[in-house]
Amino acid sequence: MRIEFTPDQLALQKELRAYFEELVTPELQAELDAGGEGGGPEFRKAMRRLGADGWIGLSWPKELGGREMTPMEQYIFTEEVMRTGFPYPFLTTEAIGPVLHEYGSDQMREAVVMPILRGEVVIAIGYSEPGAGTDLASLTTRADRDGDEWVINGQKVWTSLADFSDYIWLAARTDPGSKKHRGLSLLLVPNDAPGLTVSPIWTMGVRTNATYYDNVRVPAENLIGGEGNGWALITGQLNRERLSLVNHGSADTLYRRVAKWAADTESPHGGRVIDQPWVQTNLARVKSGLEALKLICWKQAWAMTEGNLQMADASVAKVYGTEFFLEHYRLLGEIVGQAGGTIQRDSPGEILKGRLEFMYRVGSILTFGGGTNEVQRDIISAAGLGMPRSR
Amino acid sequence: MDFSLSDEQIELQNLARQILGDQTTNEHLRDIEAGDERFDEKLWADLAEAGLLGIAIGEEQGGMALGYESLCLLVEEVGRSVAPAPVIPVLVSAGMAIDRFGTDEQKQRLLPGVVSGETMLSAALIEPLNEDPERPLARAKVEGEGVVLDGIKTCVPFANRAERIVMAAQQDGGVGLFLVDPQAEGVALARQNSTAGEPQFEVRLDAAHVASNDILAGPEEGARVLHWISQRTAAANCMMAAGVVDRMTRMTAEYTAEREQFGVKIATFQAVGQRAANCYIDSECLRLLAQQAVSLLNEDRPADDEVTIAKMWVGDVTHRVSHAAQHLHGGIGVDRDYPLFRYCLWAKQLELAMGSTAQLTARLGEGIAREFSANA
Repeated sequence: MRIEFTPDQLALQKELRAYFEELVTPELQAELDAGGEGGGPEFRKAMRRLGADGWIGLSWPKELGGREMTPMEQYIFTEEVMRTGFPYPFLTTEAIGPVLHEYGSDQMREAVVMPILRGEVVIAIGYSEPGAGTDLASLTTRADRDGDEWVINGQKVWTSLADFSDYIWLAARTDPGSKKHRGLSLLLVPNDAPGLTVSPIWTMGVRTNATYYDNVRVPAENLIGGEGNGWALITGQLNRERLSLVNHGSADTLYRRVAKWAADTESPHGGRVIDQPWVQTNLARVKSGLEALKLICWKQAWAMTEGNLQMADASVAKVYGTEFFLEHYRLLGEIVGQAGGTIQRDSPGEILKGRLEFMYRVGSILTFGGGTNEVQRDIISAAGLGMPRSR
Repeated sequence: MDFSLSDEQIELQNLARQILGDQTTNEHLRDIEAGDERFDEKLWADLAEAGLLGIAIGEEQGGMALGYESLCLLVEEVGRSVAPAPVIPVLVSAGMAIDRFGTDEQKQRLLPGVVSGETMLSAALIEPLNEDPERPLARAKVEGEGVVLDGIKTCVPFANRAERIVMAAQQDGGVGLFLVDPQAEGVALARQNSTAGEPQFEVRLDAAHVASNDILAGPEEGARVLHWISQRTAAANCMMAAGVVDRMTRMTAEYTAEREQFGVKIATFQAVGQRAANCYIDSECLRLLAQQAVSLLNEDRPADDEVTIAKMWVGDVTHRVSHAAQHLHGGIGVDRDYPLFRYCLWAKQLELAMGSTAQLTARLGEGIAREFSANA
């Protein structure tokens, strides 16, 4: 065993850290601080630069102009992106891009895949519906064939990024008589297609969207991966989503910021904030949880590189990571106190730009987003422990 | 980055599993436990016969010199089988320490017998109301060529069978480490009944004489050697706990997949499956943390925080998984006719050995405060 980065991997980490420090200009930082999940002009500019510098294609095949690096290097990249807080569109670049390349027409590769690599295109995911959340296969949005086109009708919720994305990656039922997993297909819907409406859903944390499809027409070639093959593509992509949801980089950065703040901040009663034993206890508990998170992530990236990722492992990462994040925000929030944990950014008396106030508000989606943790635990007890399935 | 074992390590692991698996059936353990002492002499001899007691001892002494990480694979298997085999005190805390820091004479005198299974050793790492192994209260006074020891050590495993017990004492200029003969004059052993049944002793030192050739480390280097021993003992405890916890979790999955109530296997109740999944997650985290600590120590890399964190997790995880396993088993989980109870008792032993979670959390926190103050 050698549970640490190789010299090459450390060099890549160092290169990326320096790169992102430069990429996140004060203008971009201001745009990111103003909230949201990207989409502003500075975000677009940074994405184009990432494309031009060859970072978007890190894990892509060389024939596409990618660098063909392993999941381990891809993980290091992800970690460094997450440290900056830059809302990198992982699903576009890691999940949808490669699928579009594999199954899309030549024209689509030219029009969509290459622009993804250049950082010009962001794609939103349209899966969940009001009546289809955890039981995603019960979705009812339909796409009917009419000549050379598909005609889409239905409604999606939690279509994050759709307010600025270029396309929506939409799951719809293409076989009207079908039930559940069969008869689903994936379609690429341009955001400017007539009949598509995007309306905001304001959550406790960020904006997401409801999207409505009223006789939206897309060309036949926008159905990707074959009619009725949607479920396999969806589940493959959800596994990747879980990997980018749970990452050590952002949590580690937040821990370091709070610890540094506590060490730099004098207490009016004498000493510094970090001199108090209970502050040290909370930091120690955070660090101990982070260490496990780091190892779960490393092991997963290593197993993917070796091609032997176990089904239960991705679920372990999702459950442990998301539940740890909430505990982590809470423990760090106690250190910055009421002012740090409840006063919002840009208010007088804010601490660390209200980061903990924001993270705690936005964090609760983690345990059910990307596959609810109860379902993950069902997967763990069945696939990891061989227990008979519930129900 | 490499989480895999070498081919050689996999062979060792399989060999250990085979020997331990054959000799830790419920019936056999019950027989051993009905005896005077929870120790299986035949098993120990078989481990020696297979060469496993010499995994981390030098070739000149008859060992295989395969290192600490390989030895910890045996330790994990002992945990997984709750075998009555004192691999940590004999092979890690004392054996490896003598192999690394002992004089040639000490090595030649003590280690070939360890490899052959004839010589037992132990280490006395804690004292009454003083469970920090690195701050002993026992005193050593130089007398002639040797020293004289005064103090009390507690929870010393297999002190009665040990040829020598590694222990530390304060002396002028620092901490010294000594190889104490438990049969020597001035050394009194009092047997303690421990929760997991391991033979343990309170060792009272009353002007106990230690000859010069039994000094393992003098005051100049004693603290460093003691730290080395403490870390490796703690990380080995973590690997043993990983084995214990993994087996408890799987035993629970197997039992609930068979046990029927209300006409169905109880594993099909989501409340049961979800709780077992929590055990699996804990078990995975603990193993990764233990492996990280062990692999760093194996290369003599700094691993203070990694060891501390792994041991903090041992304290929490052994408790959580042990209780969940017993709870999901119901009454049979506490019945001494069914094997789970041994794992739960060992879990408790490992939970509190080499530092409790609360104590280590405080230590880690103090370290964090120093780290960020230095950067400030």
